[in-house]
Amino acid sequence: MIKTINLSKTFLDKKRGEIKAVVNVSLECQPGKIFGLLGLNGAGKTTLMRLLSTVLKPTSGTAKINGFDILTQPEKVRSNIGFLSSDTALYPRLSAQETVAYFARLNGLEEDSIQKRSDELFRLFNMESFRDRRIDKLSSGMKQKVSLARTIIHDPQILILDEPTLGLDVITSRNIIQFIRKAKDENKCVLFSTHIMYEAEKLCDEIAVIHQGKILAVGTLEKLRDSVGLKNLDEIFVKLVGEVHEF
Amino acid sequence: MNFNTIKIIYLKEMKDMLRDRRTLVSMILIPILLFPVLMFGMSSLMVKMTKQAAERVNPIVVLGGDNAPFLFSQLQVDKSFEIVQESDYRAALKDKRITAALEFSRDFEKKIAAGDSAQVEIYYDAAEIRSEMASGKLDNLFKAYQDSVVTERLKIKNVDRSMLHPVKVDKENLAPKEKMGGFFLAMFLPYMIMIMALTGAMYPAIDLTAGEKERGTLETLLVSPASRGEITSGKFLAVFTASLITSIVSTGSMVITASGSFARFEEMGRGAVFSINPLSILILFLLMIPYCCLASSVLLSLSLFAKSYKEAQSYLSPLLIVIILPAMVSFLPGFELSPKLAFIPIINTSLVLKEVLLGTYHWGFIGLIFLSTTIYASIAIFITRRLFEKEQVLFRT
Repeated sequence: MIKTINLSKTFLDKKRGEIKAVVNVSLECQPGKIFGLLGLNGAGKTTLMRLLSTVLKPTSGTAKINGFDILTQPEKVRSNIGFLSSDTALYPRLSAQETVAYFARLNGLEEDSIQKRSDELFRLFNMESFRDRRIDKLSSGMKQKVSLARTIIHDPQILILDEPTLGLDVITSRNIIQFIRKAKDENKCVLFSTHIMYEAEKLCDEIAVIHQGKILAVGTLEKLRDSVGLKNLDEIFVKLVGEVHEF
Repeated sequence: MNFNTIKIIYLKEMKDMLRDRRTLVSMILIPILLFPVLMFGMSSLMVKMTKQAAERVNPIVVLGGDNAPFLFSQLQVDKSFEIVQESDYRAALKDKRITAALEFSRDFEKKIAAGDSAQVEIYYDAAEIRSEMASGKLDNLFKAYQDSVVTERLKIKNVDRSMLHPVKVDKENLAPKEKMGGFFLAMFLPYMIMIMALTGAMYPAIDLTAGEKERGTLETLLVSPASRGEITSGKFLAVFTASLITSIVSTGSMVITASGSFARFEEMGRGAVFSINPLSILILFLLMIPYCCLASSVLLSLSLFAKSYKEAQSYLSPLLIVIILPAMVSFLPGFELSPKLAFIPIINTSLVLKEVLLGTYHWGFIGLIFLSTTIYASIAIFITRRLFEKEQVLFRT
């Protein structure tokens, strides 16, 4: 599971001064649940996820991933998560198979289990036809499949997916949604961010609305409906964000 | 740090690198082709130019030709000169219509015949290569004439020519033929190899850092369990390998090219044999190791700081000049190694490589320079490692 404790991140920008990207965020995502992070562009979703993946260090507070602390055990944290975002591209000169095998090796998998596991994933995502093709020769849908395979090659218990359907066509998006559901069925803990309301509505067990680095509301869809008094998630979102934001 | 992880990253970076055409060109193709093209191109150009110059007819103006009818007739039949008429020889020289002008003093040959001395003036333009060459030819012509006059006069007086040269100076070049060959190579090789070691590693360094940032693959690697130290080490080793491969390839190419062209020198009778002591080559590679480490980590640090390929290139171009100028000391005559210079990076390597190629092994200096460059390289690697831990550098916006 993921547990954040007063997690904060402040950037220093020469022109704009101090930017509070994440402010005192305390969240809990349980195994077997899909946790949605909802926010506008620049709300702090990506920064929060980068903190959890230990790529960035928090200014204050911390988080535990499967019991490992992001500050003191970053390598353990990274081997327990599968992280996917629009910023995690693939090496264009490697083939699909080489890419998946590379990340399997970095995750400490042995050669024979790499073979077994990648066979499994290539079959699962229907990628056998372009297994030995170089990444720069693949379509964006194919690339996203390879990215997914790369993300879960070590069978992580926790998935952190930053806008995984961004810029993808309907079919590929559907594949990803199916993949997230499947992960939930396998009792994995999924944290995913989006700004597409209906995606969150369909998928999430719990939703957090983030704005200007702060969590404005968190809970199940039912709970959010009750507290705000509106039915549709987009209305709830606009109401919550609108209270602090001037459009 | 896990060595297996470093190996995984290193092997992947090498595979990736060897699939990049730009890297292959700068690492292997250019070092192989550069020296033969440069050397054969230059030497054949020089041969062609010398031949052209020898065959060229020089238009000249002769003033007072009546005073020296014999020499004038000789000039008329000489194929390298063409006597032309110009009213103002100074203007003609300036406009390059003539290459030189001659002025015989009054009664030139009569005075000579009488056993007196006479004067001839050569006017030329030293800033014009053709004019300079024409004046040289005229010089030779008059020297030969003078020689024949002296011989004639001595003959009349029954004096042996050897009277003129009571001291006979004989010069013998005791430099072994290897040293003569090494001398040419010792000037060029340190400079060239140091530059090539840098340019060969340049594309890989950019590709592995700024290139990864630009393509968005850096974050993919950063979220893997590999630590920043392991990532830095793997990437550093890959760039270092590229640098070392370029050094080896360029040394090989230069040695082979040079032996080819020195063989031609020998045909011309200059007696330079090209051969380098294998020990020299061994020491050369030993000294290149810390230098390549230093170059690789400086390249990595600078390009890691850049956001894109283009930005990295604009950081690295000035670096090339920073290396080229000090490395050029191997060209400077009389610039010798001293304990102080042994601590200045680049200059020290360039100078010690020159000595080693000449077959002089100052083991103290060799050890000192190996050590000091290793220390600089370690500092540079440490800085690179620290930069990889700075999120302001990795996620510069």
